[in-house]
Amino acid sequence: MTIRWPRTAPLQGTFRGITFLGSVILAIAHGMPNHWRFRSQDMARVLADCSARALLIVLVVNVLVGAILAFVGAVQLVKFGAGIFVADLVAIAVSREMAAVITAVVMAGRTGAAFAAELATMQANEEVDALEVLGLNAMDHLVVPRVLALLLVMPLLYVFGCLAGLVGGFTVGASMLSLAPAAYFDRSLDALSFQHLGLGFSKAIAFGILVAIAGCYHGLHAERNAAGVGQATTRAVVAGIVGVIALDAVFSVCANALGI
Amino acid sequence: MALLSVQDLTMRFGDKLIQEDVSFEVEPGTIFAIMGGSGCGKSTLLKHLIGLLEPAHGQVLYDGKDYWQSKDEERTKLRSGFGVLFQSAALWSSMTVLENVLMPLEQHTDLSEDERIERAREALSWVEMADFADYSPADLSGGMKKRAGLARAIAAQPRLLFLDEPSAGLDPISSKRLDDLILEIRDRTGAAVLVVSHELPSLFAIADDSIFLDADSKKPIAHGKPSELLDTATHPTVHAFLHREKL
Repeated sequence: MTIRWPRTAPLQGTFRGITFLGSVILAIAHGMPNHWRFRSQDMARVLADCSARALLIVLVVNVLVGAILAFVGAVQLVKFGAGIFVADLVAIAVSREMAAVITAVVMAGRTGAAFAAELATMQANEEVDALEVLGLNAMDHLVVPRVLALLLVMPLLYVFGCLAGLVGGFTVGASMLSLAPAAYFDRSLDALSFQHLGLGFSKAIAFGILVAIAGCYHGLHAERNAAGVGQATTRAVVAGIVGVIALDAVFSVCANALGI
Repeated sequence: MALLSVQDLTMRFGDKLIQEDVSFEVEPGTIFAIMGGSGCGKSTLLKHLIGLLEPAHGQVLYDGKDYWQSKDEERTKLRSGFGVLFQSAALWSSMTVLENVLMPLEQHTDLSEDERIERAREALSWVEMADFADYSPADLSGGMKKRAGLARAIAAQPRLLFLDEPSAGLDPISSKRLDDLILEIRDRTGAAVLVVSHELPSLFAIADDSIFLDADSKKPIAHGKPSELLDTATHPTVHAFLHREKL
């Protein structure tokens, strides 16, 4: 069956992206009952690159975001003598929104860009053609391991990001606002709920898939020259970040409708 | 029956015509060259022959079977009979040279792991790359990449070898070495070789037959052994190309 694409360029891109997502899902589903077709060494390399090597920057950024949230909240809350509620603000904002969003933005700029650059370079060097000629599908061998890697790693990075954000908020609360550490800790635990954590966790999984697919899609559809590699990288980062924020908005509406 | 038969092939990118009326045959044990100036569609034709691009019109027959009319399984079987050396060698950068050469053996043969490794090392020895088996492609020179790519192309002992600009970018000595290697591979394995090139010394040295693609008329304008076309070609573009003259 021939699909008729809409003529408007942004719509075309969106429809092609959706088709690409469908192909990824089919490739993952097809590999599941038998065995994955990619090389385990490739999966290990991608996993290492987007987990351990990304952890430090994820921790640093989330600590700072937690601290900023505490500062901004404190300025207002202290005026009403409610400084202790900074702990609630930080705990809810970090677990529900910020840890997942900020970690995804960092991963879009770091790992999504790396995926796009690597695949675009492989495209320019005819490495993808060489795979196809051997009868090996680029989707199975290049895209699936990257999507699976971020699918596995993003929830873990979210947990670390969450802890880092809470530490950042705690540091500001305890040192700058002179809140008792034990009281801050208690309020944080009271504010944290499985609903907030579950929502953040779900977002992390969805954002991980989105960032990986944006990187792989733009890498495999790059022009076959050096400029094409740069353009693919830029597009992957922009699509990843815009996509994460748009998807977060959808999550917020859905969570609101469901009363989460 | 010809190993590869191309009949009335037309190549297009959207509305843009690249070449039309392309017909030729490649017999087993021969070296066939696709010649022409830069941008005339030589590499594009090769991509149509190895299944990367679908022709707008015409047939590509392997042992009489139409590649583009075959089902996926049949195409995979047909592809297992040919090896390809890409213009940039196209070694997979995340693998070592040995792993690159092992890939076609894993995909197209039923050999045990030990046998595959032995065969891959044999192919690397043939192209004098045995000492570089554990190197990353990034650590190799251009000529070494080409030879490693050639080892990967011949490892599964294909019946038809496609070489895209094998000596482009190489110094004359490396280029001559690669030409000798191509002749040796043809003589030892009996494989047919299809070379895309505009390197005249190489073409005169190795090609048994050729076709000349013209960028202006978008059609083949000469057919024959390059060394014979040197004397017999009447078309001014072919004459100028082979004698390195201005048009």
